[in-house]
Amino acid sequence: MNDDMTADRDSQSPQVPGGDGVDRRGFLQCMAWAGTGLVWAAGGGVFSSRILSQASASERGASDFSFVQISDTHIGFKGEANKDALGTFEQALARITALDPAPAFIIHTGDITHAQKAGAFDIVAEGLKGTKIDRAIYVPGENDVFADGGKEYLGRFGGPSGRGWQSFDYKGVHFIGLINVLNFKAGGLGNLGADQLDWLKKDVEGLGSSTPIVVFAHVPLWAVYPKWGWVTDDGGQALSFLRRFGSVTVLNGHIHQIMQKVEGNISFHTALSTAFPQPAPGVGAGPGPVKVPAEELRGVLGVRAVNYVQGKSRLAIVDSTLA
Amino acid sequence: MKRDCRPNRAVWMWRSAIIGTTALCGLALAGGVSADQPVRAAVLDRSDQRVVATAPVPPEPRIQIAKHKYDRPTLTIPVGTTVTWVNKDEDVHTVVSTTLIFRSPGLETDEGYSYRFTKPGVYQYFCTLHPLMTGKVIVK
Repeated sequence: MNDDMTADRDSQSPQVPGGDGVDRRGFLQCMAWAGTGLVWAAGGGVFSSRILSQASASERGASDFSFVQISDTHIGFKGEANKDALGTFEQALARITALDPAPAFIIHTGDITHAQKAGAFDIVAEGLKGTKIDRAIYVPGENDVFADGGKEYLGRFGGPSGRGWQSFDYKGVHFIGLINVLNFKAGGLGNLGADQLDWLKKDVEGLGSSTPIVVFAHVPLWAVYPKWGWVTDDGGQALSFLRRFGSVTVLNGHIHQIMQKVEGNISFHTALSTAFPQPAPGVGAGPGPVKVPAEELRGVLGVRAVNYVQGKSRLAIVDSTLA
Repeated sequence: MKRDCRPNRAVWMWRSAIIGTTALCGLALAGGVSADQPVRAAVLDRSDQRVVATAPVPPEPRIQIAKHKYDRPTLTIPVGTTVTWVNKDEDVHTVVSTTLIFRSPGLETDEGYSYRFTKPGVYQYFCTLHPLMTGKVIVK
């Protein structure tokens, strides 16, 4: 799956003129991109897993590190698309545990649970702890908050403020976790809201433009396919605060498939689920779990390692399936 | 368009039972009309019988949720009708009034939710996981 993301595309980074993900022009461009499946760019620093595995721990600089993105674990899902979502989650954990060198932390980009099933948060939290990686950071998906407006999720993972959105620094990289699945309105889309946008603006205000930024949230912050709700309504506003930075990596989940796009210094990446795949944008009547032949299932599920090498403008994204 | 025929989609198990509505066909009139009753009364009785026999209690309306859509996004019903929504997707969906008059829990595959509308009005609702899914019930 990641074999075509080789480093020889480093020099090819077509930009999307004026595409901020929300205006009409940008919207149509994204639609075309999604509809045709055309990969605009695999930006600099996107290596194949073979190339990455050759860079062993001994070649790493002191400031280099990696982290893992896991997404859409949907613990509690028992549909035809995967009768053993717990089993494939455990396989993903084994993949994470086997990573060498060990990642610094794990980021879960939401839909931790399937419909807030009782005990599902515990299963995931304990599972991630079992990898021996010290730290796990979460943002919620709609499945994690819809039943109680986020009460349980925020009680567990909301932090001291209880709001859930957060930022932290690690070895010179500024990480930002955003929530775009609360306060859904009828007919509306994923949204961040004015309070969170104000916070974000202030959060990055004092940072130098050379600070590498990693933003993570459940629903894509860019317009993958608005017709299916695969977009964040006010994502463009959030991105407007980040355009001055030299390196911005946006990590999302929600759509259960890998998609990438580069806009100027911002690269967007959606991740595989560990539970079930979803259709490509616009294929079929709507989104939702897709049943594939049993022998193909693990080839469409996976986890992601993200590698930061000091001095490289872009982070290396390495997606691995469970096959 | 509504039905997706791609072979790799899950084949939905239509497990939910179809709730048939039994027509109540004039059992109350089983006693018949005796010969010594006035003709007029007998005519009225036959009239009653015909009405009862041809207008069974209508089945309670059902709205299916499939492919992230309510299949009857606008439904008009008389006061006192109970509407049932049944989820045929593998994604979880909800049926939540925009004014929170009714609010279903998360509906898994083949799970349903019913609400009886007792007052006239227009009731907008949506899925709180997938807010692009909207519908309305018009109660007259």
